[in-house]
Amino acid sequence: MPSFFKRKNVTKTRYNQKSGNKEQSPEKKPGSIGFSLSVNLDIIKQRTGNSTDIITRHVKIGPNYGLKTVVVYVAGIVNEQFIHDFLIESLMKDHFLQEDLNLENAAEIIVDDLVALSSVMQISEWNQLLLSLMSGDTIILIDGLDKALSVSTEGGEKRAIEEPGAQVSVRGSRAGFVESLGTNTALVRRIIKSPDLWLESMKIGKVTKTDVAIMYINGIAKQEIVEEVRSRLNKLEVDSILESGYIEQLIEDQTFTPFPTLYNTERPDIVAGNLLEGRIAIFIDGTPFVLLAPAVFVQFFQSTDDYYARFDMATALRLLRILIFIISLIAPAAYVAVTTFHQEMIPTQLVITVAAQREAVPFPAFVEALIMEVTFEILREAGIRLPRAVGSAVSIVGALVIGQAAVQAGIVSPAMVIIVSITAIASFATPSFSMAISARLIRFFIMISAATFGFYGIILAFIMLLAHLCSLRSFSVPYMTPLAPFILANVGDTIVRFPWLDLGTRPKLISQKDNIGQGETMKSQPPENSGMVTANTGKGDGNES
Amino acid sequence: MGMNRKWAFLFLMLACISLVSGCWSKKELTDVALVSALGIDIDEKGRYVGTFQIINPGNVAGGMQGGGAGQGPSVSVYSTTGNNIVEVSRRASTKISRRLYYAHTNLVVVSDELAEKEGLAAIMDAFDRHPEFRTTARVVIARESSAADIVKTLTAVDKIPANKVIKTMELTEKRWGEHVKTNIQEVTKDLVSPGKEPILTGFRMIGNAKKGEKMENVQESALDAILQADAIAVFKDDKLVDWLTGETARGTLWVLDKIKSTGISIDWQDKQEAIAYQVVRQKTKVTATMKNGQPQISINVQAEGDIDEANVPVNLADPRVLLRIEKALGKEIEKEIHKSIQHASQHKTDIFGFGEAMHRSEPESWKRMEKNWNDEHFPKLKVKVNVDAYIRRTGLRSKPMHFGGHLRVGPPVGQRVKAVGFSTPRG
Repeated sequence: MPSFFKRKNVTKTRYNQKSGNKEQSPEKKPGSIGFSLSVNLDIIKQRTGNSTDIITRHVKIGPNYGLKTVVVYVAGIVNEQFIHDFLIESLMKDHFLQEDLNLENAAEIIVDDLVALSSVMQISEWNQLLLSLMSGDTIILIDGLDKALSVSTEGGEKRAIEEPGAQVSVRGSRAGFVESLGTNTALVRRIIKSPDLWLESMKIGKVTKTDVAIMYINGIAKQEIVEEVRSRLNKLEVDSILESGYIEQLIEDQTFTPFPTLYNTERPDIVAGNLLEGRIAIFIDGTPFVLLAPAVFVQFFQSTDDYYARFDMATALRLLRILIFIISLIAPAAYVAVTTFHQEMIPTQLVITVAAQREAVPFPAFVEALIMEVTFEILREAGIRLPRAVGSAVSIVGALVIGQAAVQAGIVSPAMVIIVSITAIASFATPSFSMAISARLIRFFIMISAATFGFYGIILAFIMLLAHLCSLRSFSVPYMTPLAPFILANVGDTIVRFPWLDLGTRPKLISQKDNIGQGETMKSQPPENSGMVTANTGKGDGNES
Repeated sequence: MGMNRKWAFLFLMLACISLVSGCWSKKELTDVALVSALGIDIDEKGRYVGTFQIINPGNVAGGMQGGGAGQGPSVSVYSTTGNNIVEVSRRASTKISRRLYYAHTNLVVVSDELAEKEGLAAIMDAFDRHPEFRTTARVVIARESSAADIVKTLTAVDKIPANKVIKTMELTEKRWGEHVKTNIQEVTKDLVSPGKEPILTGFRMIGNAKKGEKMENVQESALDAILQADAIAVFKDDKLVDWLTGETARGTLWVLDKIKSTGISIDWQDKQEAIAYQVVRQKTKVTATMKNGQPQISINVQAEGDIDEANVPVNLADPRVLLRIEKALGKEIEKEIHKSIQHASQHKTDIFGFGEAMHRSEPESWKRMEKNWNDEHFPKLKVKVNVDAYIRRTGLRSKPMHFGGHLRVGPPVGQRVKAVGFSTPRG
C-alpha cells in the first residue's frame, strides 16, 4: 500500500517534460519552429495528417502588405466569432496600427495592439504549438519568424448548466456540472469566493491530453495529501483519460476492493462542502463528474439534503440509509438462510405461509433467490441500455414475467418476489451510485455464504467485509474514519448529524485546521427582558421567555 | 510475495471452514414436516404411542396459487410406537416422507392414562433435552379421551388444531380462570421442586372421534367433535392423582395469583346467584411464617371489579349496599380458596407452592420439613385467607330493571337469558 512517506522511485518523467524528438523534423534545431512559413505549414499538415478540420487563413499584414501571415485553428473547438472579429479583422483592417510593423516587432505589435483577446502567448516549440492548436487556441505564423503566436480562442458547443441527473436533491442548488472543465471550476468558485481556493492544471493522457485540474483550499487541505494527489496524477502515463473513472481507478489506494475509495459527484455544492472539509477536488475535462479525495465510508451515505434539512430529520434519514444499505446487502441472503437453516426463527404462522408458497417451487431456496436476483439484474441492465421508445414495453414484460407469470407458473414463490423487490428498491435508495453498485456485487457473495452456512455464513461474510473495510485507505486516510480510528470530535457528522452549532470541527485526519470556530456564541436566543411576547401587552415582566 | 501468502492463507482458511461445517444443517422448507402438536399415549404393552400432528402448509395458507386453502385437511396425523420418545420420533420416518421438525411444536398432549401410570418426568426429559423442541410448548392432559383423539380432531375457526387448543386454554384462563396454561419449562420446574407440584389443564374431545378426523367436521356449523378445556389435572410425585373442577379449580388459580378476570356470582336476598361481579384486576400475596414451630400460610387477595348483572332489586347507588356486596364477594372468593385448599390437602399434594413460599421465608425450618412436606406438613397446614373485594363500577345502569317495580323491560326474570360467561354451569 503506497503511503506518503515511502515514495517509489519515479524514473519516468512527466509527459510534458519529454521532448518531442522526431527524426522527420526538417529543422536543424529539432522540435523548434523554423523560419519558413511554407515549411512550417507543411509540418503542421504533415503532423496532423492533412486533417480537414484544420483551417488555415492566409493574410498579409504590415505596410504594403509585405508580411505573409497565416492564422491556423481547428474548426469546431474554437470560438470562430472571436477569431473573425478580434483577430483576422484587426490583422487585415487596422492599418494605422501596422505602419511601423516589420519582422522584428511583428510579434510584439500583434500581441500589444492587434489582438483584442485576453491571452496571447509566444511559442517556439512544435509540440507546444500543436498542443495549443488542438486545445482550441488559434496559431498565428509569420513568414520569416521562428516563433508562433498562440491566441486563446477556446470555444465551441457546450452543454448548458442543468440539474444533475444522478444526484438529485430536494433542496439546494439546481446547478450540476457540465462537460467543460472551465465551467465546472467556475461553478465552485462562485460558491467559495476566497483567494485561498487554489487551482492547479495539468494535462494527462499521451494521446488525449485531457485537461485535469486539482482544486483545494490552501490552509485547510493537508499539504501532504495535496502533494500525494499531485504526485499520483503526475505519475500517470496512459494514452487516454475519457472519464473521471479512469483517474479514479488509476490513483486509488487499493485496486482489489468492491468499495469506491474516491467520491464522485455532479454537484458543485457537494464539491464546495468537501473542499471546506479539507478534501481535494479533481476536475477532468469532458465529464460532469468531479472526484473528491480522500473519501471515507460514511461519506457515501450522506446527501446534501442532510445538511439543508433540520438535524433530527437528517439523522433519521441517515440511519434509514444505513438500514437500506444493510437490506440491499442481506435481504435475499437472510431469506435463504431462514428458509433453509433457521425455520425456528420465524413465527409459526409465517413459516406456514412461506412453506405453503415454497411447496410448489421446484428449486431450492438458494437457486430460487439466484434466479430472481439474476433476472432482476438483467432487467436493470437492459433498462439502462434500452432506447426510450421500447423501454415501457420491456418494463411491462419484466413486471409481468417476474411479478406474475413466474409466481403463477410455480417457478418462484411470491415471498421471493417481495424480497427481490425490496432489495431492488433498497439498492436504488443509497445516495451514492458507486456505493450502491458495490452492494450489488457483495449481495451475491453473501447469498452464497448464507446458502452454505446459514446465518453463521452471513455473520462470517459481514466480519470479512468489516475487516476489509477497516483495512482500506483513501490517500492514507483510513476508510472507516471517524468510526474505526474513533475520533469523537468528528462523530457528529457520520451516521448521525448533530445540529450545526455542535459541528465545530473539521474531519481531523483530512483537514489541516480542525476548528471552524462556530459554537455557542452564535446561538440565537430570545431577548432577555421585554421580549416580543410581552412587548405588545405592555405589562409583562419578561419572565415568559 | 507477501500478498500471495496472504491470499493462500485466506483460501486455506475458507477451505477449512467449508470442511468443518459444510451444509449439514441445511433443510429446505419442502423437506421438513412442521409438527404442530404431539400426542403421547400408552398402549397395552406399556409402550409409548406418539401421534404427530403435521401441518399441511398448502391447506392452511391460501396464497395466490388457486386458493388451495380448505381443499384438504389442514393437518395430517401419523402415529408410531416406541419404548421411548426418541424411538417414537425416529420410527415415524417409516411413515412420513419428511424430517420431523419440532421447532414449531407448541402443544404436547399427554393421555390421562399415561399420566396416571407412568408420570410426566420420563417424557419431559426428552422434550427438555431436544435442542429443537421449545420449552415454551404448552402441555395438556387428555381427559377421558386419548391423546391421539385430541391431536386428530379437526377444528373450525383456528385451522390448526394445536392452535385452537392453546388459544382456548389461554383465553379461558384469562376470561374465566378455571384452567391454567402450563408449558414444558414450568412442568419440569414444578416436577423437580419439592415445594410445589405441577398442575395442568385437561382437554376433552366431545363428540364422535371418527367424525372429528374428517373434513366434514369443519364443514358443519355445529361440529361433530370439539375440543374443550376440562378441569385441572393435579399431580403428586410425578403422577396424576386428581382433577379439579369448577370453583375448586378457580380457587387454585386465586391462590396462584393467576386470575386475570373472571365472573363471581353471589346470592342476594334469598335469590341465588343474583349479582354477578366481574373481576378486572386482582393481586394475591402468599406469605409463609412459622408460628409456635408450626408452619402457617396467610393468603391476601385484593380484587377489583365491576357489577355486571343485578337481578334483584338492589340500590347500587347506595355506598352501604355496595360495601355489603363487597363483603359478600370477599366471602365467596374465600370460600372458593378454602375449597381448593381442602381438596389439595386430601390428596396431600401442594399445588399452590406453599412449600416454595416457606422455603423463601423460613429456609431453616424448610430444610427440616422438605422431605415429607407433601405427606405430613402440607395437609396439616394452617391457612389464613383474607379477601378484599372492591367494586369500582356498576355498569351503565345504576338501578336494576325491576327496582321499584314500575320499569319492566324484557322477558320475565325467571326465563331471562343470562350473559354467556356467567351462566355456564361450573365444572
